[in-house]
Amino acid sequence: MGGVDVGDGGGKKRATNSDINMIPFIDLLMVTIAFLLITAVWTTNSRINADAQVPGPPNPNTELVPQTPEKVLNLHVGESEFSLVWKAGATVVSEIKVPKNPVEMGGEAKIVRYPDLAKKIEEEWKAQGGHRDPTDRKLDQCILFTDNRTPFKEIVAVLDALYSPKRDMKAPDGSTKKLPVFNMTFSVR
Amino acid sequence: MSDRFSRRHHDPHAHVIHPPTKRLMSHVPLRFVWNKVSGHGRKSVGAALNLVSFIDFLVVTVIFLLMSFSASGEMTVDKNVKLPKAENVEDIVDAPMIAVNGNQILVDGTLAGSTRAIEELGRLQKIDELFAILKNKRELWKQLQPNKTFPGVCILQVDQNVPALVVKSVFQTAAFAGYPNVSFMVGKIPSSKSQ
Repeated sequence: MGGVDVGDGGGKKRATNSDINMIPFIDLLMVTIAFLLITAVWTTNSRINADAQVPGPPNPNTELVPQTPEKVLNLHVGESEFSLVWKAGATVVSEIKVPKNPVEMGGEAKIVRYPDLAKKIEEEWKAQGGHRDPTDRKLDQCILFTDNRTPFKEIVAVLDALYSPKRDMKAPDGSTKKLPVFNMTFSVR
Repeated sequence: MSDRFSRRHHDPHAHVIHPPTKRLMSHVPLRFVWNKVSGHGRKSVGAALNLVSFIDFLVVTVIFLLMSFSASGEMTVDKNVKLPKAENVEDIVDAPMIAVNGNQILVDGTLAGSTRAIEELGRLQKIDELFAILKNKRELWKQLQPNKTFPGVCILQVDQNVPALVVKSVFQTAAFAGYPNVSFMVGKIPSSKSQ
């Protein structure tokens, strides 16, 4: 038996020492461990951002100034290749094709990755990207064109490649964070 | 060992804190049981365990598990949804969850549409039930927090085999309902750049 000695009871008073029965105590610890192990969350979920680019209503107090259209990356997912097209409005600035070389990872649940696409996107952004300064809080825009039958896991593989290039961005509190260079939205046809 | 069995009575006034020694199997009152468990002169089949270090180990394990325990139910994933995995991800945020599995669309567990209907139609469409639920959620948020700007964030839990048509329809409906910042929930895989 285990116990705690807190001195004798002082004369005829009831003793303040008490014993703890070790068997139920160990049982309690074992049950607590079993409960915590069973209810533990072993998988961590995260998120991939997208922005539907819905413009808000214009401020009635400010005068609207016509702006030159920004360069936008149009990423087309084809059967055997990707095409990366930079457009400013309706004008095509540049276009390159990237062959589809999927790399499969994992065991039973295969995870598809496109490392070649990620490299090309990074090179393209370095050559054409418009928002690079750490104080610039805007991101370059990418529009994803994909067939309606494409499974979601393939879309995620493409998004993973798209969000692979990162740049420094200064937060309002002065700290610097690494953030993906692109913001993605779907093409709706 | 004879000393062990000659002691008849336990001293009630003895201090209850003892130096750490072997405790298990130290109070076996019957001699033949003690002989049996101690191996009849041969090597014992039963091993003695130091209770102090054993309890220390259990307590440390309990403390570690309690510290890493999370009781929040916000991260629950629909059991019919198998999430895809990605490397370049961000931490999850608190926002309405839209689960899309092979058959149904659910908003925080409430049925909000059928994916089969969208697939059968074969073209992009606004999902009316989903739109109504999300719009109600947005209006409720604005009533509860009138002085704050609505963030417009929602999280999609989409099964990895759902076709792009369904994903685009849900994405577009969420944007129409006032949730333009859509995030896709994914499983996290370790970064290959850090290896």
